[in-house]
Formats: sequence, structure tokens, C-alpha cells
Amino acid sequence: MPETGGSSETPGGAAPTFLHDARSLQRKLVEEYYRDLEANERPRRPVAYMLVGGNLAEILRSFGFEVVFPEIVALNCAIKHQSLDNILHAESLGYGLDVCGYVKNDLGLQDLGGKTSFGRIPRPDVLVCSFSGCYVYVKWWEALAESYGAPLFMFDVPYMREEVPRKEDIDYLVGQLWELVHFLEQRTGQAFDMDLLKRVLIESRRAEDGWVEFLRAGRLRPSPIEAYFESIFYMFPINVLRGTPEAADFYDVVNTEIRARVRDQTYPLPEEKFRLLVEGVPPYTNYRAFWDFFRKWGAVSVVATYPKVGGLFDRGFRHDPARPFESIAEYSLGAYVNQSWPLRRKIIADYVKEYQADAALIHGIKSCRSFTAGQGDLRDWLIHDQGVPTLYIESDHEDPRYFAPAQIKNRMDAFFESLEQRRAVAIAGGRTPA
Amino acid sequence: MSGVVAGVDIGSTTAKCVILGEGSRVLGKSLNPVGVDIVKDAEHALEAAVQDAHLSRSDVAFVTGTGYGRYKVYFGQLVVTEISCHARGANFLFPGTRLVVDIGGQDTKAIRINERGEVVDFAMNDKCAAGTGRFLDVCANALGCDVGEIGPLSLQARHAVKVTSTCTVFAESEVTSYVSRGKDPKDILAGLHASIASRTLSLMQRVGVEPEITFTGGVSQNEGMVHALGRRLGVPVNVSPLSQYLGALGAALHGWERLPGGAA
Ligand code: SF4
Repeated sequence: MPETGGSSETPGGAAPTFLHDARSLQRKLVEEYYRDLEANERPRRPVAYMLVGGNLAEILRSFGFEVVFPEIVALNCAIKHQSLDNILHAESLGYGLDVCGYVKNDLGLQDLGGKTSFGRIPRPDVLVCSFSGCYVYVKWWEALAESYGAPLFMFDVPYMREEVPRKEDIDYLVGQLWELVHFLEQRTGQAFDMDLLKRVLIESRRAEDGWVEFLRAGRLRPSPIEAYFESIFYMFPINVLRGTPEAADFYDVVNTEIRARVRDQTYPLPEEKFRLLVEGVPPYTNYRAFWDFFRKWGAVSVVATYPKVGGLFDRGFRHDPARPFESIAEYSLGAYVNQSWPLRRKIIADYVKEYQADAALIHGIKSCRSFTAGQGDLRDWLIHDQGVPTLYIESDHEDPRYFAPAQIKNRMDAFFESLEQRRAVAIAGGRTPA
Repeated sequence: MSGVVAGVDIGSTTAKCVILGEGSRVLGKSLNPVGVDIVKDAEHALEAAVQDAHLSRSDVAFVTGTGYGRYKVYFGQLVVTEISCHARGANFLFPGTRLVVDIGGQDTKAIRINERGEVVDFAMNDKCAAGTGRFLDVCANALGCDVGEIGPLSLQARHAVKVTSTCTVFAESEVTSYVSRGKDPKDILAGLHASIASRTLSLMQRVGVEPEITFTGGVSQNEGMVHALGRRLGVPVNVSPLSQYLGALGAALHGWERLPGGAA
């Protein structure tokens, strides 16, 4: 689900002055990642396909796998305006209009030969359906297994209905992780190296600490970060490169830059008028326009749920080299999309308080069957139970045909107009402005 | 005439303008179809309303643009969405309004407002013209009627047919299928109006149904629709001959507040 930020463009028009070192390093990491994938020839490293939520990257990395996340490739295609061709091709193969855009982009792209403007995406040697928070994943990976004839490992993650994972669930996942190790040993002919996994986990943990420091900067007033649009750029290392020293080092660069912003009072916008909580997958096909709709009103997202799809590290979770498999199991259970609605609502309510959000914006995805399901109720709950003005906008993450700019802008404008009016009334001490 | 303001509402099918004078009195108004040149349509709307008010262009001290074409009202000093304008306009005409339902050419909105005419919450139909004015146009066409006739005809129905779809694309075939089954056009029309009312009600329920309810937009001039909506809601809805101009009126009121010493 997250963004690689493979785009060389800065969304939102002219680059704000603060997007410097971290943004160019992020671009470099993305470019190198795709270049390495394309150049992976002789001796060829094995390639595993995996999902972002609750992923098992560390284990695969300890076996020397190149890890490809088709969701990330898909959203990179969308941000580069290449997703529609892939989607139309998948539809010509028989995938219906309402099938998730990520799935159609992936299947269409591979059937067309895997070529993108940012590199050729290699075929998988193994498919690890690393997460089951969305049932679409299971069917998607089955379709991939059939089309590539690649071996498939299904990692079955129970849905979370309680905040603290149950011991039986952890044991169930740890058992499956040992099965995965056995599966990978058979496929690669290599013995599993626990010490190597622990070293990878040390790097993961370091990256997680850095990522959380960045996210928490949104608590400051004004916020020195854009917690939705900017975070999406910086999600690439935590999701795709987690476990490498490069990922951990990246967040050192990011946080140095954020500290400099605070010192120099360089903020995402000259004036932070509204502090927003944002929920939902972004409309990658029109990322720039969507961001502009916010900026025009002086709205800065100070906290967002979407950057947490790769892990709720800001809620305290860390990979732990002293408890390698147990912590990986806890990580998989704790993926944002794997939380029941009461748990998700609690996270959101806590965020509103901790980050002093004035309002919430939910972006729903037309073709999504999991992340988006229930967001209409979330809107009502935020407005009626929590007293948080909330706007619900719907388009798609991958399919530009669902993005209606005039209608979306109209809703955004009306929403911010009403927030401004309410604020004016409150400032006037309850007197009518008219 | 420094206390004269104008609101120009460029919608998806029509351009409307309202001129307001001292005491928020409506001095003039205009309504024209929109074409490809929205900038010109906006200018024409203002000119026609100024003429209707027996004023000249230079008498107008402040212009506010609203509607989908609001950014094309280049001569205006303020831009406000039609959602805020309908809220303001409805509050002006019917101060007890708590819910505004606006059915226009291509979209439907439910806007919950407070006692000051400020937007509390709103919901709109998605990227689809099902159940809007456009749907009724297509149905009227399929039945060979003028769009102005369909409301009164629907009120003469004896056994309204049960219409399930309000899809504009399939409206024609839907209507034709009832005609070929020998249904009376009046009964078909009553069914069509009732199905729009049901669809609109579900949108209204998203923001909360609370009387008084004021019905605005072009479709509010259709008495069949006023009847169907009131029946579905179980309470009568407010309508005014100015309902279609409510966006423009609200825009003018917003402009009025910006005038030095202005208060609507
Ligand atoms: S959660 Fe939604 S967007 Fe993600 S794979 Fe499932 S259906 Fe697609």
C-alpha cells in the first residue's frame, strides 16, 4: 500500500524549500532499488513477492532474497500515470471493474512483460503471501502463483480484536514462521542463519526508531512535517528496505532535517490554519492535485493512519533481536489493516488528542474491499461521537477514471469554508459573524 | 447605489444571478443555460440581472461567484462553494431550515445547517448523475413530454409503477420497458419521482434528517418532486419561487457581509 516515491517530481507544485536532503536521498534509494532489481542477472539473487502489511522482509532478507512488493510497484505506476494501461489490460483479461486497482495493475503489468518507466520488474521465484488482513491478498497471490507457476507460501495472520496479542496467536504464527524457514531452505538450498536474522533485526529496529521520531514531529505546533503527503515519500525505506543499514541511516538524515526545520522555523506551509488527521490510501493517480486542494486552505496533515500500514511502530512496537520470531509474529498481528474497527477507532481517537487535530479527512478507495470498508461509519462516529468535523472523499488509488477533480475540490472547499466559518464564530465568542 | 451586491451561480446546466440591494431586497435576477464559454455565460448572467434590476453594471459594488464555474467569474471579488451559498440562501428565505436538499442538473446535495445558516455537515451524490435533474430530462424525453409537464402529470397517477433504478444512462431503456408493458406514462412518472425521492432520502439520512427541510435547485420547481419528497419524508418541504436561485442568492448574501458595514 505505501509509496515508493519513485517519482522524480515533487507533488504539489513548486517544491517547498524544506524538501532537500531527505527527499533527494529517498529518490536515490528508490532509483537504486529498481536499478538493482533490473540488473539482478549473474549471479542472480532469488526474488520473492510479498505484501507490505505485516511483511516478513527480515526473514527473506536473511536468505539473500530480493523483495518485491507489487502494491508498491502498482502505486509507483499510478503516480507515474502508467496504471491505467495496466488496469485496462487486466480488464481485457477478464478482471472486473470492481477488482482492487493494485491487483489489476500488477496482473496487467506482468502480462504486458513487467516493463515500467522506472525499471523492469522481475518474475518471482517464490510468492510469500505474508499477510491476510485483506482477503483480496489471498486470491491475488493465488492468481500470481497460477500465472507464474511459482511456489506459494501462505502466512495466515489472525485478525486482531484485542489490543494485546494472545499467546495462542503468537505461537500459531511462530509455528508458521518455522515452516516458512523450512520452505525457503528447500527453495534456496541454504541453511537458515539465526545470527544473520538477528543482525537484520538490529537494523530494522534502528530504522523503526528513526521513523517514529519523524512521525512524532507532527505533534509540534506548527507541525514541521506533512504527515500524509510527505510521510508517503519517507515510507519507502521503512517498508521496502527495512533491515538494511541504508534504511536506518536514511531516517538519521530525515530527522536531522526536521530538527533544522524546527530551528529555522521552516514549515510545510507559511501558516498552519488547520491541523488534519488523514485516514485512507491516497489517490496516487492525482497525488499532486489532491495535495494542492489541502494546501490552498492552509491545511497540514499532522497525523495519518496510512503511513502505518507497514507497521504501528509509533504505538510502541519494535522488532526485537532478542525475541526474533515472536517479535516478527507480533509485528504481523499489529499491522494497521489487521485491526478490528474498535481498535482502529481507538488509534484514531488517540491520534486526534495527541496531535491536536482540528478535523479529519477520509479518502476512500472505490475498488478496495478491506482498508476502505467501514470508513463511512468511521466518518459518522468521528462527527457524532467525537465531535471531530470530518470529510469523506472517494476516488481510487490506482484508477484515474474514478478521480473527479471538480467534485473533489468542491467538497474540500465547502468543508474548509465551514471550518473557517465555525472558527470565526468561535473567535467572535459565539456571536454571528453576519 | 453602493449597497448593491450580486451573486453569480454557474452550475452544470444553468447560470443564475441575483442582485441584492439595501435590506437584502432582491432587485433583479437572471437565469440562462450554460454553454461552452463559461466566462461569457457568467458575464451574461450578471448583465441580464442588472438589466432586470433596472441598474447599470457600475452600481454593483461586490460580486461573489459560486457553483462549479465559480473560478470563471473573473470579475468577482469572492468565491464561495454553492454548498455554503445554498445554506446561507435557505437560512435567509426560511430561517427555521436545518436541512437543505438541493437537486440540480447533475448532482444532489444534502446540507445540514445551523440557526446561523452555516454548514454543519453535507453529503453529495458521487460521480454519477443518477437521480438528478438530468435523469428526469432523459425520462421526459423518452416519454415524449416536456420536462415542465412531468411533475404535474406524475400527480395524476393512479398506480405508480415501482422503479428501482435511477441510472441516467439506462433511464431511457427503463422507461421504454414500462411503456412496452403498457403502463400509463403518468404511473411511470410517479414511479420515477418516487424512486428519486427514496434515493435523495438516503443521502439526507447520511447527514441527519431534521425539519425544517428546504428543497432547492432546478428540480425543486417540479411539483411532482416536491410532493414525492414530502411524502417520503412524512413532512412538507419548504420551496420558494426563488429556490432555483438560492445558490446565487446565498452568494450575494456572502458578498453583502463583506461590504463595509454590510449585514444581511
Ligand atoms: S486493502 Fe484494499 S487496496 Fe489493499 S489490497 Fe486489499 S482491496 Fe486492495
